[in-house]
Amino acid sequence: MDLDRRGIPGGFIASAEFVEAAASQARSLGFDPSKVFVGHPIQDRSNAEMEKLAEDAFQEVLALVVETDA
Amino acid sequence: MSQYVLVVKEDCETCRLLASLTKRLIDELDITIYSQDNPEFPAGVPVIDDTELEYSFNHRLETVPTLLKFENESGLTELERTEGWDRNEWQRLTGLNFLEDLPAFRPGCGSKTLDPGMLDQLAVKFGSADLEARRLAIEDGEDEIEACYDRGWSDGLPLVPPTELRVVKMLQGTRRAPSEIIGNVPPDYAPCSVLKVAVNAVMAGCKPEYMPVVLAAVEAALLDEFCMHGLLATTYFSGPMVVVNGPISRAIGMNSKGNALGQGNRANATIGRALQLVIRNVGGGKPQGVDRAALGNPGKYTFCFAEDETNSCWDSYSVEKGFDSQDSAVTLFAADGVQGIVDQKSRTPESLCRSFAAGLRVASHPKMVMAADAFLVITPEHERVFRDAEWSKTRVKAELESLLQIDGAELVMGAGGIAEGLPDKFADKVVPKFRAGGLNIVRAGGGAGMFSAIIAGWGASGSMGSVPVTVKVGH
Amino acid sequence: MTMVLMDPTAELNPDGRMPLPKPKSLNGLTVGLLNISKPRGDIFLDRIDDLLGQKGIQTKRYSKPTFTRIAPTELKQQIATECDVVIEALAD
Repeated sequence: MDLDRRGIPGGFIASAEFVEAAASQARSLGFDPSKVFVGHPIQDRSNAEMEKLAEDAFQEVLALVVETDA
Repeated sequence: MSQYVLVVKEDCETCRLLASLTKRLIDELDITIYSQDNPEFPAGVPVIDDTELEYSFNHRLETVPTLLKFENESGLTELERTEGWDRNEWQRLTGLNFLEDLPAFRPGCGSKTLDPGMLDQLAVKFGSADLEARRLAIEDGEDEIEACYDRGWSDGLPLVPPTELRVVKMLQGTRRAPSEIIGNVPPDYAPCSVLKVAVNAVMAGCKPEYMPVVLAAVEAALLDEFCMHGLLATTYFSGPMVVVNGPISRAIGMNSKGNALGQGNRANATIGRALQLVIRNVGGGKPQGVDRAALGNPGKYTFCFAEDETNSCWDSYSVEKGFDSQDSAVTLFAADGVQGIVDQKSRTPESLCRSFAAGLRVASHPKMVMAADAFLVITPEHERVFRDAEWSKTRVKAELESLLQIDGAELVMGAGGIAEGLPDKFADKVVPKFRAGGLNIVRAGGGAGMFSAIIAGWGASGSMGSVPVTVKVGH
Repeated sequence: MTMVLMDPTAELNPDGRMPLPKPKSLNGLTVGLLNISKPRGDIFLDRIDDLLGQKGIQTKRYSKPTFTRIAPTELKQQIATECDVVIEALAD
């Protein structure tokens, strides 16, 4: 949110665990940022698995920073 | 409801004086009587108990007795009211002759709604529930001033958070209903209610007594001939400048004297700011959005002052425009910044006018004519030169107009090695700097200092752009 | 005590602060990739960085010193000066 206040659009990526926390924070801040959720868990994934998560999410991630037709 | 309402309290000598009249009022008028402290007073007539002060609060009572007259028996639209006892006024309002043995006049007492701390309590009890606006809850730990910034409401400076209590108190400054729509604000053309003006007035830092002036300024801004939308969307410098005339400017303590165009006076600062915030928040007009000003000017934070009408040898601006000197009026002008004119030597009106003309000549650009209007703010020390020579404002303007008839040869494109300018066909003509009526004069400023100021207007002034507009201040 | 404010706007937008609109294209823009420094986030961002690079998009990498605290002001200022848009990852 602070980067948004400074004129830098964007968003964040979080694991599915974060869905509730993100919603609650959005309510209390009065600000709902752009976000992408990826599969949980994260901590014990191999490098290859992390890379696949990134590839699968890439289109959504792009939408955090650029206008899409979707 | 009824067409007349009388509000009294027993603990008031004037109200007790009138008790004998009330039987007659009940018999001869369609009237309802409210009592603020004792529902048995006045005796012998039907009285509505207003000890909770709900009616008194909702009708912004300041004095008892107050006699209110409404448009009809619905009691909805108030036409006028009179406070205290004034035989002539009561006769005028009611059409009855009061031959009873009473003095001609007795002042009233304070309404119980104004007892210390009472207004706040009443505001909480009655004030805000039916005000139609979205509410935003600020959580514990959130800074309410940051919250206002975050929501994009601010002009860059901190705002006064518009709590319900503050808004209710602000609404006490006007008799108009909160839900009354003043007009549609460009660029979004969203409807603007008295309530929305009040919320923005709170944020600007206004006091409730400024509300009638702020409302008049918003009304003026929405007049078609002011061309607010165009003014907002232009790449030009201008923003609305507010000039206030008449008794209210003094009653609310506006500054018309030293540093009148500068900072330091709450009324000047906040009234201009309130108008800007309404345009921003209700209209949606913001920089890099619809507001495309290349540079803008600092007056777009706030630009508001009162004309100095004391001991002036001239009619005030609003009187020039046909308003009564006893009325208050607000004038809006699409203004740039301030161009100072220093003249500490001119003793004759002719010489001083030449100084002014030299400054006026370069408004917008020395070769630009019939484009911008201008306001010339003449300080008392300069006005004295004209007073001593007995020159009226009309005479000053006529002199300036004749000095500002310019040889077309100086104005055409290429003249003086400057590409800007008029088409060639003007080369052998004489062209006036300002359109007819484009030059305006007001008097303001501190007593010491032989300076005056030119405030030029939007390059599109006149029928194809913005003209200065003046609106009467109501309640 | 929760403070309640009245809305000064025309209420044409949803309540709350809207995020800034996204640019129409990333041509010529710099995308900041901010690692909030939870474990494995770097691998994720490496791959995003590659993919953006393959599309010819300019990127810059940043890391929070620790995920337990919000990004320091200097870091935010730096990102705001050097980038046009930002992606933060990976919260879990």
